[in-house]
Amino acid sequence: MQSQSQSQSQGPLAGLFDGYPECALPGTYDEMFDGDKARPAFQRVAQLLAKMTPDELARAQQLAETALLQQGVTFSVYGDARGTEKIFPFCLLPRLIAAADWSPLERGLQQRLRALGAFLDDIYGEQRILTAGVVPAEMILGAAGYRPTLRGIKPPGGVRIHISGVDLIRDPAGTWRVLEDNIRTPSGVSYVVENRLISKRLFPRVFDAARVHRVDHYPTRLAEALRSVSPLEQECNAVVLTPGPYNSAYFEHSFLARTMGLELVQAPDLIVDGDKVYCRTTRGPKRVHVIYRRTDESFLDPEVFRADSVLGVPGLMRAYAAGNVALANAPGNGVADDKAVYPFVPDMIEFYLGEQPILEQVQTYVCLFEEDRTYVLENLDQMVVKAVDEAGGYGMLMGPQASAAELAEFRARIIAEPRRYIAQNRIELSCCPTWIRENGNVEPRRVDLRPYILTSREGPWVLPGGLTRVALKAGSYVVNSSQGGGSKDTWVMKETHG
Amino acid sequence: MISRVADHCFWFGRYVERAEATARMLASSVSLALDAELPSSGVWRPVIVVSGEEDEFEAKFTDGDDDHPAWGDGEAVQRFMVWDESNGVSLAKSVTGARWNARSIREVLSLEAWETVNELHLWMLSDSAQTTFAQHREAFYQHVRRSTQLTLGLLRSTMLHDEPLDFMWLGVLLERVNQTARMLDVHHHAFTNLPRRRSSDAEEVIETALWLSLLRGLSGSEGYLKRAAGRISSEGVARFLVSERAFPRSIAYCVKSAYDRLCDIRPPEHHALPGGASLERLRVLHAWVSAREAEPLAGSRAVHDLLTHVVDEVHEICGTLGTELLGAGRPT
Repeated sequence: MQSQSQSQSQGPLAGLFDGYPECALPGTYDEMFDGDKARPAFQRVAQLLAKMTPDELARAQQLAETALLQQGVTFSVYGDARGTEKIFPFCLLPRLIAAADWSPLERGLQQRLRALGAFLDDIYGEQRILTAGVVPAEMILGAAGYRPTLRGIKPPGGVRIHISGVDLIRDPAGTWRVLEDNIRTPSGVSYVVENRLISKRLFPRVFDAARVHRVDHYPTRLAEALRSVSPLEQECNAVVLTPGPYNSAYFEHSFLARTMGLELVQAPDLIVDGDKVYCRTTRGPKRVHVIYRRTDESFLDPEVFRADSVLGVPGLMRAYAAGNVALANAPGNGVADDKAVYPFVPDMIEFYLGEQPILEQVQTYVCLFEEDRTYVLENLDQMVVKAVDEAGGYGMLMGPQASAAELAEFRARIIAEPRRYIAQNRIELSCCPTWIRENGNVEPRRVDLRPYILTSREGPWVLPGGLTRVALKAGSYVVNSSQGGGSKDTWVMKETHG
Repeated sequence: MISRVADHCFWFGRYVERAEATARMLASSVSLALDAELPSSGVWRPVIVVSGEEDEFEAKFTDGDDDHPAWGDGEAVQRFMVWDESNGVSLAKSVTGARWNARSIREVLSLEAWETVNELHLWMLSDSAQTTFAQHREAFYQHVRRSTQLTLGLLRSTMLHDEPLDFMWLGVLLERVNQTARMLDVHHHAFTNLPRRRSSDAEEVIETALWLSLLRGLSGSEGYLKRAAGRISSEGVARFLVSERAFPRSIAYCVKSAYDRLCDIRPPEHHALPGGASLERLRVLHAWVSAREAEPLAGSRAVHDLLTHVVDEVHEICGTLGTELLGAGRPT
């Protein structure tokens, strides 16, 4: 089947990938190629893709972008008074994951989610892990995401992290490493489903040959997970709660409501009466049992969190505490995906599950600890510094690329508020062949991966796929859509038999 | 159904219908201006009056001068009615309104219906729309009409026929009552007060062209000619547009259908549900419009009084619907 020829013009690197090895990023793991050959699991797909011409790819890319715009698969650009909506930049060359690479990842994510769930139950319960001294109490009780008022409240169905999106990278050896756990309101899954629709439309032959796991059942699985935690066994009215059409992720909120067949509500649509939640309908109030909330928890209930919030539902937390409504995700989860708590997740896995962690993470220095802080300050120009309570690539210092002024500023910030900062060695992200419109060719660009994990009463389930975010700018490490990142469809391949 | 969502459905329906009606009216006026030997203000001024934006136009273009040439400036009137930001019922505003409401209830609309609305919205913002407007006016209106008609058709052929669609259609029908009533009222008044000429033949030709143009503006010329066996008279046209039960833009048809939709949304026998006052008011209007069928409809006074009553009642009904079902003025 595969060509044994050493000649480039007949090997898999001919055609579309002509010249690709010459622009390889030194010291990075290439997801698709090993030197000038496709990795064994991807040879067939690489051969088929290589047959496309740059012109065909450019046309396909144009078609894909027009389709996304016309379908309104867009996000709102904040700070733009005209309410401009943009498509999330999309590269139609897929990111491939071999079956053998996927299955340990899947088990590792399930393990991690079980441990994080147990940790949250413990922190909002007995706090055994603090008594045992495995995690420093000051770290947890001082975390911005810790909500002391929620202690003692058991969520309906016993689930706290119904939906999570764990960010992973692959180091130069090809080893998966967890970068951060997003267990509050992770977004992006709609793009996973939409990107797949486009791949199937544009590359039916390649897709068919690749034998890829489907991802379009995510909404069905999500609806099942939500129903499984209904406080009433007989009936369940689940809704999706959105901040509204001006929110940057509004497309996804409506996408999820539509594909699950649930109502999309805003806070003013909900009322609480007698510690039960109701929706205002054209036929009077209707009971709500489960809320998939895509609003930040600070805006959930002005009685409990921010009194100045006009966005919330007064009394919602009373209804939650009384066990009359399930909130997905549970409020208070922020304590577990705090960037300063992240270094302790392997300890949690051992403490609660008595297992060895399957997934690696990234060596992290906690600036609260004097020893770590000293090291970080001495090596600041080599470190990636992150504020523990920010996301989306904001509040970050990329030491190796920072100016002297930026380094000085972060040094001062770390000394002033050590609890707010952690630092990591910069890890080379893996890269993926990516269509570069300006150059009309395919070049390597750095990527990460966000798989989505749903947890129902029965435990965690991992969607075989995920959002691959790609740093489209040459040389960039930042994959966030707010900072010039795009996305790719992620093809998790099935086991081959025989 | 969530009241806020019902409100978006209702207004989505109104905006789509309004965009379609505006494009149709402008296209038929372009045609009339070419055909009839009318002073051009006799063609274009009614367009502004029907839209209800007379004050805005006057302030902007005519300096309060009733004989100002802008009243007859077809280009000025069309630009005002298509693009003007200050005109609350311009075509551009209606398309934006339809799309904004649709986007707020994206999960309620079928994908196919949403795409037609979104595509029209994107097209209106494109260079292509500007070029088409400048160079192929007829094609421009045609594009908008095709697109909105496709949306209306897809709603019925791709959505569940239950409450959300009922609210959209209620919006469409009540908007349509208004459009028909205002078109007929303004044109009837203008036509019956045309300056009399010596030759009654020439007069008849002009009148015929005018009534046909009005009918075309309401997509009713073919239906009317079938019903009237080719005879065109002022009373006949008014009677057709008010009372013809089989014509989907007649006032009788739209009021009856709106009442049916509201009966599905809020069944008359379910006294405990909200919406009773709106339903009753719409029932009374339906009965009143039906009763007019037996009465003569001659003279512009009679037509004007009838249409004024209809427009006022529709306004009241929309207000009551808002408070009873659509979440307006909800307790805080």
